[in-house]
Amino acid sequence: MEIKTQVYKRVVAVTVSGRVDSATAGDLETALTALTNESHTNLVLDLAAVDFLSSSGLRVLVTTLKAVRKLGGDVRLAQPSQRAVDAINLAGLDVLFKVFPDRESAIASY
Amino acid sequence: MPPTRTRSRLTLHSQTVAARLDQLEAVCSLVDQGAHSAGFDDRTSYACQLAVCEAAENIVKHGYREPGAGDIRVTTRSRPGELIIDLVDSAPPFDPTAAMPDDDWEMTDPPVGGRGLLIIRRVMDDVHYERRGHRNHLRLRKRIQAPSE
Repeated sequence: MEIKTQVYKRVVAVTVSGRVDSATAGDLETALTALTNESHTNLVLDLAAVDFLSSSGLRVLVTTLKAVRKLGGDVRLAQPSQRAVDAINLAGLDVLFKVFPDRESAIASY
Repeated sequence: MPPTRTRSRLTLHSQTVAARLDQLEAVCSLVDQGAHSAGFDDRTSYACQLAVCEAAENIVKHGYREPGAGDIRVTTRSRPGELIIDLVDSAPPFDPTAAMPDDDWEMTDPPVGGRGLLIIRRVMDDVHYERRGHRNHLRLRKRIQAPSE
């Protein structure tokens, strides 16, 4: 799994690629928690290159969403891969996240 | 003239992995092989990999509780349109079918846990647990309409 972070004026875009499972989800949680602790609460997760997303990864997304919403922010998903979408749907979390077809529109939505 | 019926071919794949989270990818690879032997498409194979990895992760975290404390034998049996995955471990008794995933929640308080069990139940047609001697046996079965049907 790889994580790349790009900080914009009002938004932070986090590009996640590869396999997000119980062996790697901790790294994602560390990265997202660091952003939240730095008061970055408007997050875009670019999931275009995620090729596996287990419940451990989903747990990190939900935990982060709950944390930033308490602070008035949100977690929005950009161009999630079919595999990321399938995992989110199977876990019954599809109603939870706003999903955008591309990164630019997700960033512009804030 | 009645349709010709051919005897279904059974393909087996089996591997024993250490009960560690970094071994789940190997479990997925085995499931992927089995799914393709059964004639599943990539999307269905991926769903099966998700479900089996959730089950294996539960064995590591809630069965053995300590990484590397034992192993998991993974066996896949494939016939056209059907995949059976058996997970056998020697952890203390742990029945993942006993817990009911909570799918009734509020948008203001989404669930952090329990998603793995939901994925298993949504993907698989049958999930069966048995304790035999000192071992847990978990069988997951997925069926699709075979291409020849």
